[in-house]
Amino acid sequence: MNIFKLLANLAEVDPEAYQRLSARRGMLSSLGQLSRKTAATALPLGVGAVLQKAYGRNTQTILDTFTLALTLEHLENEFYTKALEAGRNGTLTFAPGTQAVFQQIQAHEQAHVAFFQRQLQSSNAAVPAKPNFDFTGSKNGTKPALYADVFTNFATFLKVAQLLEDTGVRAYKGQLEFLISDNDVLQAALQIHAVEARHAAHIRGMRRALGANVRDWISKDDETITNTSTAAVYAGEDAEKQTLPGLPITQFPTDTTPFAVGPKPKVSLGEAFDEPITTGVATQLAGLFTF
Amino acid sequence: MSKLLNSGGDEAEFAKPLYVPIKRRSFFMYAGATAGATALLLSSCNDDDDDTSMPGMVDVGSGDTGVLNYAYALEQLEAAFYTMVKAGDYYKNAVAAEKAILDDIAAHEIIHREFFKAALSTSAIKPLEVDFSSINFGDRTAVLGAAKTFEDLGVAAYNGAGQYISSADYLTLAGKIVSVEARHAALIRDLISNGSFVNDVVSPTTGLELSKSPVDVANAANMYLKDGFKINVGNIK
Repeated sequence: MNIFKLLANLAEVDPEAYQRLSARRGMLSSLGQLSRKTAATALPLGVGAVLQKAYGRNTQTILDTFTLALTLEHLENEFYTKALEAGRNGTLTFAPGTQAVFQQIQAHEQAHVAFFQRQLQSSNAAVPAKPNFDFTGSKNGTKPALYADVFTNFATFLKVAQLLEDTGVRAYKGQLEFLISDNDVLQAALQIHAVEARHAAHIRGMRRALGANVRDWISKDDETITNTSTAAVYAGEDAEKQTLPGLPITQFPTDTTPFAVGPKPKVSLGEAFDEPITTGVATQLAGLFTF
Repeated sequence: MSKLLNSGGDEAEFAKPLYVPIKRRSFFMYAGATAGATALLLSSCNDDDDDTSMPGMVDVGSGDTGVLNYAYALEQLEAAFYTMVKAGDYYKNAVAAEKAILDDIAAHEIIHREFFKAALSTSAIKPLEVDFSSINFGDRTAVLGAAKTFEDLGVAAYNGAGQYISSADYLTLAGKIVSVEARHAALIRDLISNGSFVNDVVSPTTGLELSKSPVDVANAANMYLKDGFKINVGNIK
């Protein structure tokens, strides 16, 4: 494919799409100023995104990632905001000293919401309104609740918090590949991804301090806190093998030379890698608490 | 659209690909091929005047192999550190819960090291020799303080290295590891002082965690590597 000829034709066919692409981080006008890698990888992908937009291809773009990320951050931000409100009203009793931690976490989520709103605005894309959330999972009372006492029982609140944070970590991981063409956004997504992992770890530690059998990382040895509705949060998370496309060996550990470390190698192998979830699974999980 | 549909000759030939579904994967393949071709083209006009390598340093290389070797170097450092921790007096006298945590983290880091070693195969850098003489492995504060340094450094390194990865598959693999490192970092910090899991590494205003360039990370990591094993990341660009 001759990418420059394609672009020239695209400009003729759909000048608006061409300009949008052009305006987005000056991709076309400042090729020479971009890093070599960005120039090489971003261009075909950017063109792909425009083609998808202009010609209705149903394939994921960076904007789709922003939209999903915004939904997930709204979800978390509202979750902690509601919990802190319940704490002030006296309906939710936080363990001593933990309220300040959740204020800190909520502030991060709020900043993440603002980040993705800005990204969408600067892309001239529609900024979706905050969805309606019901953290009991009853969809505003239209079905049986999944976590009826989420804002009245601190242990339940922590369980849901863990599920939301681990979902966030897996969801961002699944989105990284769609951001590979935009270095700035990719780095920001990685910086948010790591923060969600720190949140998840600390919340898991809080649950452990209250007697739960749970580690700071996702482990096969953790007690189960999901039900049939929420099973997807950890489905496929304990993979004991990693695939290595395009590398000299295609699997780790290999079948012929299994790798064993420590007293429980399979558990450790599952723990050592957090696994991604797809856009579809992330959307479905967010949907449990949306109406 | 109608213009394209009705056009003929060369234009129609050119327009043809627009109507063939272009799968995302093939775009990535195309992107990868372009990156490779560009690298070849550029290498011929690069006089390497920004090469910061010194004799006796271990060059991690360039491109995706360079980034994977960079990660391999950091995982070697972490795995060696926890191996030393487990041989030290603090660990021997630690309460069961802390021992279990250090056992798990040590296993994860060894797995990460072996993973990169296997992935890189013949492209892997040599095993690195470490210098932990500045760390008192008999002292809890010293051990956890060093663990915090290594874990935070690892997360910031992966955060800053993603942009140098061309392959979507390797980017996802790095993502699978960095969140586990972030979990380690949060836990070690909470062991030092409960509730400090994000202090001074996550901005309270932006909600973003620190990110560090390969050069900054290498400078920090090289303090714990013996002469002849310090890493040069100058070719990761």
